[in-house]
Amino acid sequence: MSVTSQKAHLLRANKTNPASWWIAGISLSLVSSLTGNLMVLISICIGTMLTVFLARDESPWAKSIGFYLKLAAVVVSLRVVFRIIFNLGTATSEAFLLLPSLEFDVGFGNTIHLFGPMSELSLVAAFTDGFRLAAIILSVGMANSLANPRKILKATPGALYEIATAISIAINLAPQLISSLNRVRRARSLRGRSKGIKSLAGIVIPVLEDTIEQSMALAASMSARGFGRRGKRTALQILIARLLGFLAVCLCVTGVVLLLISPDQQFIDLAIVFLGLVAAGFTIRISSTKATRTRYRSEPWRLGDLVVFAVSITLLLLAFGGAFAA
Amino acid sequence: MIELRDLTFSYTLPDGSLVSETPQLNRVNFKINKGEFVLVCGPTGSGKSTFLRTLNGLAPSFTGGVIRGELIIDDLNLIGSEPHEFAHLVGYVNQQPEGAFVADTVIDEIVYGAEQLGLSIPAIKQSIDEIAPLLDIAELLERPLDTLSGGQQQRVAIAAALIAGQKILLLDEPTSALDHEGANEVLRVLRNLAHDRDVTVLLAEHRISRVIGAVDSVLVVHGDGSVTKGAPQSQFNDNRFAPPIIELGLKLGWNPLPTNNSDATKLWQSAKHSIEAKKLAPASKEVVTLQDLKVSFGNVTALEETNLSLFGNQITALMGENGSGKTTLCWAIQGTGTITSGKVTTSFGDTSSMAAENRLDVLAMVPQRAADLLFLNSLSAELTESDRFANVKSGSTASLFQKLAGRIDTAIHPRDLSAGQQLALVLAIQLVKDAKVLILDEPTRGLDYAAKRALAKQLNSIRATDRTVLIATHDIEFVAMVADRVLVLEKGRLVQDGLPTVLLSAGNPLASQIAEITREPALITIEQVLS
Repeated sequence: MSVTSQKAHLLRANKTNPASWWIAGISLSLVSSLTGNLMVLISICIGTMLTVFLARDESPWAKSIGFYLKLAAVVVSLRVVFRIIFNLGTATSEAFLLLPSLEFDVGFGNTIHLFGPMSELSLVAAFTDGFRLAAIILSVGMANSLANPRKILKATPGALYEIATAISIAINLAPQLISSLNRVRRARSLRGRSKGIKSLAGIVIPVLEDTIEQSMALAASMSARGFGRRGKRTALQILIARLLGFLAVCLCVTGVVLLLISPDQQFIDLAIVFLGLVAAGFTIRISSTKATRTRYRSEPWRLGDLVVFAVSITLLLLAFGGAFAA
Repeated sequence: MIELRDLTFSYTLPDGSLVSETPQLNRVNFKINKGEFVLVCGPTGSGKSTFLRTLNGLAPSFTGGVIRGELIIDDLNLIGSEPHEFAHLVGYVNQQPEGAFVADTVIDEIVYGAEQLGLSIPAIKQSIDEIAPLLDIAELLERPLDTLSGGQQQRVAIAAALIAGQKILLLDEPTSALDHEGANEVLRVLRNLAHDRDVTVLLAEHRISRVIGAVDSVLVVHGDGSVTKGAPQSQFNDNRFAPPIIELGLKLGWNPLPTNNSDATKLWQSAKHSIEAKKLAPASKEVVTLQDLKVSFGNVTALEETNLSLFGNQITALMGENGSGKTTLCWAIQGTGTITSGKVTTSFGDTSSMAAENRLDVLAMVPQRAADLLFLNSLSAELTESDRFANVKSGSTASLFQKLAGRIDTAIHPRDLSAGQQLALVLAIQLVKDAKVLILDEPTRGLDYAAKRALAKQLNSIRATDRTVLIATHDIEFVAMVADRVLVLEKGRLVQDGLPTVLLSAGNPLASQIAEITREPALITIEQVLS
């Protein structure tokens, strides 16, 4: 208990809005995919991990960070090991790592080269690729372990409620799977199996069934308490909202694609994205006013959220600037 | 308030054809009045949960199937409506509250329904002010849900189901996971809701002895498609699920049958009865030994230093509140549980260092979530696999399962069995192995009295082959039936170790219903009463 009381600072997971962690997570993964600098990528990995370990609470989803860490480690090592094994021959003069080259004749006059001398440059490139993926995984992992999925539900506007519910149930699935897995593995050892029975099914089937059953129980409970009710909207209002929503998605996608493929007319592209965002705002507004839900206590935005928000947006702008300058 | 006219419900296969010729519910007709407290009961697997779920649209919405007839609530025929269209009229509480919670704190959980139904904020405030004291949770509003006891969680779930002024409350075995104290709190609250607040309560419950005295009427889901409703006295001609009080009344020919303990006590005292002493098996050699066993998780101590011996030819019941360390103790003996200090030894070796296969020869355990042990895609496959693994005559598991749960079509998928039937199946699989030591963690959840009697009989014959049996349970009536020795844990400490005829006798917190009625020393089960 004493551990938690020491962590009463403003970034602590239960004192921040879950949405701000997702904004940070998404911004950092964007930054990671834009940058080619290994040091920046490593800093993002370290930074996200430090943030998680300082800010997390004792909730079940906070434990999922261990899974993301392992995944990131596997990705980095795979990337580097593959690069060393399937080395696309570098000149021996700049070699950094001198490995003997193996050649296999696979017939039809083709040969496969494995290993061989490695240059410093290609090793760095392999690490950069690996750490880019790791940084993206850890950024999402950070959001997932710090943002309480149930609070995300409360922070979303009425119109997005159904989607947000689906997403938050999906996010909840990972920690649930892990806990069922541990329980079922233990239970399976109580039963034993005869020689004819394959072992994997004995774990996978109960885990999946259990996870689905739990999600269904949650969905049933939500439905029985009125989730899924719609306000009385006329057909015209629904049509307008849908058309506007469709327009918003089209504009945003077109704008982003143009931004990425033609670096010349950036102003027009940005304007299209902006228009799309405005349309999206109106769609949400129209749909939300017609929903019949109330919110007893809304999730406030606090100082900690502003800090997280400001840091992630600054990093994102810097990365965009860097990418365009290059 | 509620009226059913020719309500018929059948399960369907994915291609739309009916699963069986006889519908799950066949032309059901009855009326329930405002403020009526109704007990819903029936044999294991008869379809009580499905029946409750048809009353708020969860069946067929979440179960599949087709429904016909009329379901009239407040003068509206709601047949075929989605669950959310029932939400302002009917509250629903599940067996496991933690699985159905949508929020983290008590207050957020309670207001969820009201938010969905669009109640104004002042109306929600007023509703909380009314309902929180009624359910005795006013002090808990800001607490995280996972810090509450099972009984508190269940009361929060009830508050959440009634927050928008719902006047009908459906509860599917709300006390089956709760200890004696927690269950009594919930039942007291339900009684008040029905009688003082005019809430119509439909309660599905297996441990009927606890509620029979408080309900106005009893609905029996027979399992053949019929559902009957009547006064509590008239509904128990089939003693598959008759509670001890009714059994006693039938045995002694009382007419009318009493349904509450004090009436029964008067009848009992008005005549002279012959009683037999309970036969307790003499223990043989020491089989399991716990030496200074201590278990902690982080800085929480689940089990304080415990010294204990379990003997052959003896059935030991392990009782105590939720969270008192029963399950921790079971897993420590099994050998894969955490042991912080001290040790567990058995006369067959040290279970914690045994290879998994050798451990299975020595010890069989049924864990709380029994369904985790099932992984094949049909009942018949599970039964054959069990015979093959245990190396017993083909059909042995099936015949034991049938004793516990009755005859069931073996083509069915194990996940489609009711919770009680799944438990019966896992019990059959584990019992048939004939291990030297048997550990059962809550082995009676969802089982009717007939199934419990069959299980008790089976355990008695297993014990007689010099086996050691440990049963962790809240089920007092089952303990009275089967145990030779009773242990009580309290906050991780072993506080009592004695004979069932002492610990379960009249005047004790764990008194059985027969003990409470008769108030005779050492009389705890119906079998001891000679008609």
